[in-house]
Amino acid sequence: MRSLALNALTRLLPVGLITLSVHRVVFARHEVFDVKLQLVLALVVAAGTTAGADKGAIAGFVLGLLYDIAGNTPLGMTALAYGMAGMTAGYVQGLTPDPQWWLASIFATLGAAVGEAGVPALELMTGRVDGLDPRLAWTVPMVAVSCGLACTPLMPIGRWAVGVRRKKWKVITE
Amino acid sequence: MFSSLGRRRVIVLVVLTCLLLITLDERGNRAIDGLRSAVGAVLHPIDTATRAIALPVERVWSAAMDYDDLRRENEALRDQLEHMKGNDIEARSAILEYRELLALNNLAARFSYPTLPAAVVGESPSNYQNTVEINVGSRQGVRVGMPVTDGAGLIGRITRVYATRSIVLLITDPEFSIPARVLSTAEDVSIPTGTTVAGSETTTPSGATASDLTSTTTSTTTTLPGLTGATSTTTPATVPGADSTTTTVAEGSATATTTPAEVVRETGTLEGQGADKALILRFIDSLTAVTSIRVGAVVDTAGGISGLAPQGIPIGVISRITPGTGTRGAIVEVTPNAVLRRLNFVAVVMYVPGADGSLP
Repeated sequence: MRSLALNALTRLLPVGLITLSVHRVVFARHEVFDVKLQLVLALVVAAGTTAGADKGAIAGFVLGLLYDIAGNTPLGMTALAYGMAGMTAGYVQGLTPDPQWWLASIFATLGAAVGEAGVPALELMTGRVDGLDPRLAWTVPMVAVSCGLACTPLMPIGRWAVGVRRKKWKVITE
Repeated sequence: MFSSLGRRRVIVLVVLTCLLLITLDERGNRAIDGLRSAVGAVLHPIDTATRAIALPVERVWSAAMDYDDLRRENEALRDQLEHMKGNDIEARSAILEYRELLALNNLAARFSYPTLPAAVVGESPSNYQNTVEINVGSRQGVRVGMPVTDGAGLIGRITRVYATRSIVLLITDPEFSIPARVLSTAEDVSIPTGTTVAGSETTTPSGATASDLTSTTTSTTTTLPGLTGATSTTTPATVPGADSTTTTVAEGSATATTTPAEVVRETGTLEGQGADKALILRFIDSLTAVTSIRVGAVVDTAGGISGLAPQGIPIGVISRITPGTGTRGAIVEVTPNAVLRRLNFVAVVMYVPGADGSLP
């Protein structure tokens, strides 16, 4: 637990603040086909695909919490959705021992879809909205695919932020 | 790292913590507000640095991609500005008359609250929140609930206030609702600007609607039959697109009277439907209300003690009325005056909801 708290404070928090700032300044102001691409979510799924379900969930929770605090969304809502995103990305990645980059991108896409759809779903569950916005049918795939594409370059940052090392496979020689 | 906890426990812990935080935030918590304020203060210099790096790149990109569009838009805006000059003169004259009438009748102006100018410094990072961040806060006297306008009309209300910044919930957000009033005349679709002169001579039926306004200007001079001698000619302001008329009436030989237009007022609740969607106006008795309003009618804030904004802030115009079917009431769509995607400078109306008539 100590290393978890230490990692969150020394790595995840500063990385999250910078990512969030870039997101607020660049991605929140410029929409692509009427959709705000989610850089923070891309980092969450990148962390999930490199570090596994539990660390992905933690990364999603911490970065989502920052997003909630800075973005004035209800505290804990994005944290929960992004936590689920990191966990999903990490879980499906765990099904293959050493996935290729494109397979990791697909896993990240799945995780991002969960994260992006999770926010309106939670808003619906908590009674903040009456129904799901039809725009979701466009927003979720757009965000998911963009996160999947951004996952590969963000993987080293995600890996460092959650404090894991890249797997090294050794040939067993007799 | 998590060996002592185990994967499932970590995930359960995350979920439970989030649910607890959602509950605390929904109920309102000062510690959470303080945390938001602190993180905002930490993020501010980081945002400034990021903006300093991103801005040159953004400008180069914008110059390369948007130059032609901006040039076209600039030309269109210049044209529009020329046309608006005419409207401005007429509007100023109408405001002066309005004030004069209010003074004569010992009535207070309906919207006379001071405003605080502010700049939009941030937008919601999420696809599902319709909010903007402005650069004034509690230090400047901003309070939760104050309405915010831009030059065109109401854009939203303050939902969170920090020391030097505030969050504005836009009128398009599904959580936004406000009492609103529809003002229309009986012939609102064809705006009656007629002046009736004794002898049943109607001289100025322009019959133009707001949407019908074009760039052509027609001026007609009507001289009443049999009225000669010294004349008093009034040259009206040139209203772009609207047919203007100069009426020449002999002094002392005819009485000009204005027939008061029958103004229909319907009050309902205006609700947001999400970004880029028209607002929905709901009435208690939608059947009666819908029959008395027309497309193009002006919608403004209703005010009142329970109102969230003072009376008379323009909101938009009715863009569509879909008749009700079966048990479903009619749907009245309102297009806001303000262009919410391009907000740069706004004004906070220093009005505390529920305290109509008193300033904070």
